Order: sequence, then C-alpha cells, then structure tokens
Amino acid sequence: MAEMVRKASAFEIFNHWVLAISCLLLALSGYGFLFKIEGITNLFGGANMMKDIHNYLGIVFSVSLFLSIFNWLKDALSFDSDDIKWIACAGGYLSKHPRVPPMGKLNTGQKFYYLALLVFGIAIAVSGFVIWLMPGQRDYVLLSHLVHNISFVVIMIAVPVHIYLATIANPGTFRIMVYGTVPYKWALKRHPKWIQELQRSK
Amino acid sequence: MARKALLISPELCIGCRACQVACKSWNQLPAEKTTNKGTYENPSDLTPTLYNRIRYVEVPSQENPVRWLFVSQRCMHCDDAGCMKICPAPGALYKTPEGIVSFNQEKCIGCKLCIAGCPFDVPRYNQKEKIAKCNLCEDRVREGMPPACAKTCPTGSITYGDRDALIASSKKAGFEKLYGQMDLGGLGVLYAFKETPRLYGLNENPRIPESIVFWHNVLKPLSYIGLGGVVAASVLHYLLIGPHKEQEEV
Repeated sequence: MAEMVRKASAFEIFNHWVLAISCLLLALSGYGFLFKIEGITNLFGGANMMKDIHNYLGIVFSVSLFLSIFNWLKDALSFDSDDIKWIACAGGYLSKHPRVPPMGKLNTGQKFYYLALLVFGIAIAVSGFVIWLMPGQRDYVLLSHLVHNISFVVIMIAVPVHIYLATIANPGTFRIMVYGTVPYKWALKRHPKWIQELQRSK
Repeated sequence: MARKALLISPELCIGCRACQVACKSWNQLPAEKTTNKGTYENPSDLTPTLYNRIRYVEVPSQENPVRWLFVSQRCMHCDDAGCMKICPAPGALYKTPEGIVSFNQEKCIGCKLCIAGCPFDVPRYNQKEKIAKCNLCEDRVREGMPPACAKTCPTGSITYGDRDALIASSKKAGFEKLYGQMDLGGLGVLYAFKETPRLYGLNENPRIPESIVFWHNVLKPLSYIGLGGVVAASVLHYLLIGPHKEQEEV
C-alpha cells in the first residue's frame, strides 16, 4: 500500500458527518415547510413532528458548526498570493489539463466554501432560533424569516457544489471523510504547501 | 361558486354585541372574565375564544361631544392572505370555495408565523398553541346558512351574501368604494365607511409585509432554481470537462 498521510482527525470526520447529515435533513424538512409538501411531512411523521425534528436538529447543526471552527477556521483564513492565482485559473476546474498553483491544507475554493458556510450557517441558526423561541414577535420573526430563507438559498447552492467537488469531480477526495487519510503522492500534488509544513514541523 | 362576504355598516350598529354572543354560542366558545377599562367595549381585544367583537371608538368633538362608532372586528378573509402565504403547515390554513380563510387546528403546528403575516392582527393562539380565529362559520355557510353573527344582527349592520351583490347594493346606497373592495385582492369583509378608515381603527392601505412578498416571489423560486442550477451545472461539468484525475495533471 502506498504511503498515507492523515488529513482529517477522527473528531473532524465525526463532526463533518454530524454537520452533513443534520444539514441535509434540515434542508429536506425545510423544503417541506417552504412548499407545504405533505409527502415530506409524512416522511417525518407529520408536520408537528417535523417541526420538532427541524428545531432540535437545528441545535445539533449549530453545535456541530461551532465545533467545526476548531477544525477548519484557522486554515480557511490563511490566504496568500497563490490564492489569487487559484481564483484566476478557477481552480483548474475549467480545464481538462489543469495547472493549479500550490495549495496549503485547504485550497482557495475550500476556504471560501467554509467561510461562506460558517457565515450563512450562523445566520440560518440564529434566525432559526428566533423563529422558534420568539413566536408571535412580529418584527423579530419577520426579519429572521427573511434571513433564514436568504441563507437557505445560499446554502442550497453551495452544498451541492461542495458535494460534487468532494466526490465524483475529484476522485480520491471522498476517502478523507471516511478514513481521514490520503496517499502521500496525492497530497504532495494537491496540497504541497501543507506537506512542506508537515515536514518542517517534524 | 360565487365568493361570499360580509358587509359591515357601522352606521347601523347599536353596539348590542349580539354578534359576539351568537358567535360564541355557535362555535361553542366559553366566556371569559374581563376587566373594566373605562369603556363599554368588552372584551378589549380578540382572544382565542372571541372570534369577533365590536370595537367601540369614541370620537368626541366640539359640535358632537358624544360620538360613538361601533365597528365589527374579525378575520377579514383576504383573497391574498398573508397568513396563508407564510404558514408552513400543509392544510393548517385553507380557502373554502366561498373564499373563506379557514383553519384546521389538527394540522396547525403552533409556529405563529401567521401572526407575522396578518396585516390586521387577527390570529390568536389557544392554550394548546393552535390557531383560533373567525372562520365565517364555515360549517353554516357550507349548508347555505349565514354566519351566526350576520344571522343574529338585529339592525342589519352585518349582512352576508354574494360579494358582488353586496358591492352592487352598497353602490346603489351611495358608497362609491367600500373598504376592502380592492385591498389584498379583495377582502371577504367589506366596510361601508362614511369617513376615513383610520377613524374606525383600520389601516388605510393594509398590506402583507414586504419581506413576505419578496420571500414568496423571489426567495421561494430561487431555493429550487439555485439547487437545480448547480446540480445541472455539475452534471454538465462532469460530462464536458470531467473529473480532476491525477494522471491528467501535467
């Protein structure tokens, strides 16, 4: 077997699954509420049950999102000139023979994705709690309803792209979410600055 | 089916509140203990067990030191109803063929978003956190009977009938335009006001909150157009450019 290097800790893998599953269930029930789809409310055991599940899953999502800060925020905030080059070549995704500038542990797209998810995740969580816990308070509820739905639209655009890029668009990436490890050779190509950093700290 | 409506003529109201009693009687709503707030108006607001009430408006002036206006207050049964727009529970609020905005407490999830959506501050919640409001005696109307309030009104201040016929007859009586005739797609409760609606405690231009209109017209479609768009784009990308495989990297 090829030499492997650990990219995600057990906790990161676990927390990412919690975040992903809660996010997808929240989105599904969210669509059920948004368009009053009885097929979806039945799936969750009726509209009343779906409301409780949606609310309490909101807590799971929020805690998981908070914990993710310790996993990814530091890497997501470290930008340099290579990030500009990455944006200039669109991450190499528009070419069949991509040449991508050297990346750290996260590439530029991953950094932006995480920051966007963090911002809109906090927005959708806080507004969700206001709708849940301050019912009938017109001004707060109306503002939160708007924020909740704007964030929903953004997240529903960002998440499918993330899933696509992390699975079939980049074969070999999905294993990070399962095993947390990647082949050394792969990491050296995709995240050379991260490998350099690892070697320096050894 | 022709849209039904109530026509309220405040000038004919004598403030007897028989409509309040008839409503409670038909809908089996218990009485409540109230407190005197220095006015004959009682109760002083709609409650989960008070679907309609008479608002007592005192308008004293130099010429007329004792002027009392009596206005029936209840759900307006909007054609374009803000409560129905924002309600997330299937079947909790629904429109009957007569144009009534009715409710089903079994399906209500108690989120109270309808309170934020209503331009008239109508929805109330009972102790079980379920919506309660006027449903224009949907069960009576379905059997061809007038709502209890209209049936019992002794002066004809509350009349019930086909909406178009009510508008036509009040036009003959000299009311060029009724309150609620055009607002929110047309209300199911029309008012024959002789003066500004504000005097009677009603908004000149009732509207669904802008944010709800924006959400309904823009954000809701975007939520699936956006998702569908990126899924389609991903499929296209996979087919046209393909995955980022290691051996293809030069």
